[in-house]
Amino acid sequence: MVKEKYVGQRLARTDSLAKATGAAKYTGDIWMNRRDMLYAKALFPPYGHARILSIDTSEAEALDGVVTVMTADDLPGKNGYGGMVPDKPVIAKDEVLYEGDPVALVAAETKEAAERAVKLIKVEYEPLEGYDDPAFMLDPSSPMLHKDNPFHKNHNISDEQIIRKGDVEKAFKEADVIIDNWYKTPLVDHAYMEPDVAIAQYDPIQGGITIWSPQHAVQLAKRAMSDAFGMPQSRIHVCSQLVGGGFGGKEDSTFDVSVVAGVLSIRTKRPVYFELTRDEVFKGTGKRHPSLIHHQLAADKSGKILGIKVETIIDKGAYKSIDAIPSRTTQYAGGPYSIDNALTHSWSVFTDHPYGCAFRGLGSPQAHFAMECQMDELAHRLNMDPVELRLKNILRDGDTTIWGQPMMEERGLGLEECIRRVTSDPKFNEPLDNSDPRIRRGRGIACFMYGTGTGSATDGAHVMVQAQPDGSINIGVSASELGQGFLIAMKQIAADTMGVSIDKVYLDYADSAASLESGATVASRTTVLTGNAIVNGLEKLKERFAAVAAPMLKTGKENVVFFDNKVFAKGLENEGVPLSAVIAKAFSSQVPLGAIGSWYPPMAAPKGDGLGDKMHTYAFGCQGVQVAVDIETGEITVEDALLACDIGKAINPDTVEGQFEGGMAQAIGWALMEEHFMSNGRMKNHTFHDFLIPTAKDIPNLRTIIVEHPNVLGPFGAKGVGEPPIVPGAPAIRNAVYDAIGVAINEIPMTPVRVMEAIKKSAEKS
Amino acid sequence: MVTVAFTLNGKPVSCQVNETEVLVDTLRERFYLTGTKKGCGTGDCGACTVLLDGDAVRSCILLTAMVEGRSVTTIEGVGTLEHPHVVQQAFVDASAVQCGFCTPGMVLTTIALLEKNPDPSEDEIRTALSGNLCRCTGYQKIIKAVQLAAERMRKGN
Ligand code: FES
Ligand code: FES
Repeated sequence: MVKEKYVGQRLARTDSLAKATGAAKYTGDIWMNRRDMLYAKALFPPYGHARILSIDTSEAEALDGVVTVMTADDLPGKNGYGGMVPDKPVIAKDEVLYEGDPVALVAAETKEAAERAVKLIKVEYEPLEGYDDPAFMLDPSSPMLHKDNPFHKNHNISDEQIIRKGDVEKAFKEADVIIDNWYKTPLVDHAYMEPDVAIAQYDPIQGGITIWSPQHAVQLAKRAMSDAFGMPQSRIHVCSQLVGGGFGGKEDSTFDVSVVAGVLSIRTKRPVYFELTRDEVFKGTGKRHPSLIHHQLAADKSGKILGIKVETIIDKGAYKSIDAIPSRTTQYAGGPYSIDNALTHSWSVFTDHPYGCAFRGLGSPQAHFAMECQMDELAHRLNMDPVELRLKNILRDGDTTIWGQPMMEERGLGLEECIRRVTSDPKFNEPLDNSDPRIRRGRGIACFMYGTGTGSATDGAHVMVQAQPDGSINIGVSASELGQGFLIAMKQIAADTMGVSIDKVYLDYADSAASLESGATVASRTTVLTGNAIVNGLEKLKERFAAVAAPMLKTGKENVVFFDNKVFAKGLENEGVPLSAVIAKAFSSQVPLGAIGSWYPPMAAPKGDGLGDKMHTYAFGCQGVQVAVDIETGEITVEDALLACDIGKAINPDTVEGQFEGGMAQAIGWALMEEHFMSNGRMKNHTFHDFLIPTAKDIPNLRTIIVEHPNVLGPFGAKGVGEPPIVPGAPAIRNAVYDAIGVAINEIPMTPVRVMEAIKKSAEKS
Repeated sequence: MVTVAFTLNGKPVSCQVNETEVLVDTLRERFYLTGTKKGCGTGDCGACTVLLDGDAVRSCILLTAMVEGRSVTTIEGVGTLEHPHVVQQAFVDASAVQCGFCTPGMVLTTIALLEKNPDPSEDEIRTALSGNLCRCTGYQKIIKAVQLAAERMRKGN
């Protein structure tokens, strides 16, 4: 029996005071007082696509303070690294495929020397055409970007996924209405505030290396970089200090900086510091994949969706990175609805752009943008209330998704409650002020679902738990603190499971040497998977300690209760013994104090045609927004935003709301302003004054509702919460704009220019 | 190289710097005051905010040579783990800190705001903070933190 003393409470984050006082150390804060540290710089090309004809490093090498200059010929291992496959070169050899391919590396005694040295390296390039259009590159007659593409028989495809369910052609034949539209979403940066950075230190004792770098996955890092370092995975020790924002991006970008610091450290046998400037972060690190979506939806006149046909072309950029977007866009192409017939097909295609990587939502925002716009289009066509239309089609207990997975209330299925709570909200139903003809107001909603975990065969979590004889507990977890509040959430779960006060729980985190593989801190998976592994490990300890305590308490071990740092026989709360006494007894009785906790979700079960169970549980939600559109300038203001999201159980409602609000704000940025412009493989806007993200002035008061339909397999009923909140914002805003001005805008960001164009076009049509 | 003498967190200091050195680098690399963060180096993000004679300024676009004779306050100068400033405590209590990279800049901008305007409206708060980017929080709980700090400061605690 476990009492919930901490779970569900709004406890302050473990790290917040240290951060607010400036005492917290990030990776970039721990190098400057080390006299032995070398400073690294990389030379990046002034082209998005070019052949390297020659490199002359002699002047740079001769510069005072320069310790080494490296080109592709000087590497200690293979010239490749990557989270999924080692396809990204550490240093470009013959050709650069995007602006972020380093051509040479420098390590010097001082920052100034390193900065001067890279400018002295002479490179002769032959500029090549930069390929910007994934739809063009998908054509088999297009030029080949990667020689011998190992990933697909079509030379520019990185991945292709298809889901086939039911009989789509029949559904479209029998339909009363078909909604057929194209949608487009942009290339955007994560815009985490902490630029990418790494410190590497060669280990002369065992011939290994230690890397400190902010990231999502210290265990994955060992696998991702071992080829490049020419070392077995076991010799790579990786620590992630506090992470100054990641949102998926630092799952990959950490490798970009870590391999540079690493190969320089292996070569010089000195510790090396390497950080990117903001300009380099923008041009070089991963991005949210742009998408072009052709969405066809068939329905009968009652509004029941009969089938969907969806094709999605995804800009992969130059390298593979995390390539789950085809899989996720096919999966979520039908939104959170019960649809019997579906054919969804996605391709990720190589271009000369920054590689597309994980970014909060991993393809689900793109897919839901199209689907939720389609739902409003259908509602308009049928003259139906968009809310009623959605309620008619949502997944309910026993329904199957388009990938053939049955939905179960016992895994948490709170979508209807989310929709009802948003749409019955009094403020969301106040009359709209449309008295000024220039400022048009409207409202829109969007719904979504989002799976917890990666849904892949490798998904699982393992932790080390160690009781100390003073009654405190160490937990070794590989997860990272990205600001999401994982430290406090894990402490809450552990303290309640073990029946100890929360100050007794100490986490050894984000250090590959102090933890086991618990998977990346991505995919909204940590609370559930790592949380469950912690519960599993502590239950093992409790079982052992119950056996030790039973004779002390003169009871059977099944009657032993752990609570409030005490151990007592059920019902005899006042007669217990301190947990520390039981642990001390165990310590001297050949009972081990440490254990491994493990948890795997039920195995994802592929059945062919893209069908089969994927994630074991899903978060659901609905967002309502109110916008004001200035029809003379095209400027859109989000005046109200209300998100209800079913996340099973809020382990800490404060941090859950933090995720809701952060995701909602990022969605506003994605919908209204964020967009990188690429031309000939070069990025046109690469500063925070031309790549705009929302400021405090761009965001309204964000209102949130936590809905809890518990997941029977989650710790205390929890489902994942990190990514879901970004998903519904963009289509909700687009639908609100449609409601306000009667113009459908199917391309985001809905910048003033795009809004004015759409208004003009629609006026011409009518 | 030039010698610059100024007041740093209440104490007189002096250092030798390059004419082109910016204050954020001086603070971090010469004085090890790493609470001042560098998010962009182009004056756009506000992570490097410090107080210069009480005004919130961006230390990444301020030459160190320019602070001669002036008073610079960094996040380390306003409160500590043991004795946090009321604004720092409000950020903790309002759950306004996520990744924390923007937080020192946000705190210092808030202190400068409340010094001049002890009872700001939500709109005034949003305007004052609009030069400080935060990618994590959607600003929601940061606004709450500023309001909480203002209320506590008005009540004198
Ligand atoms: S680092 Fe100074 S404004 Fe961004
Ligand atoms: S808390 Fe991460 S940028 Fe503000």
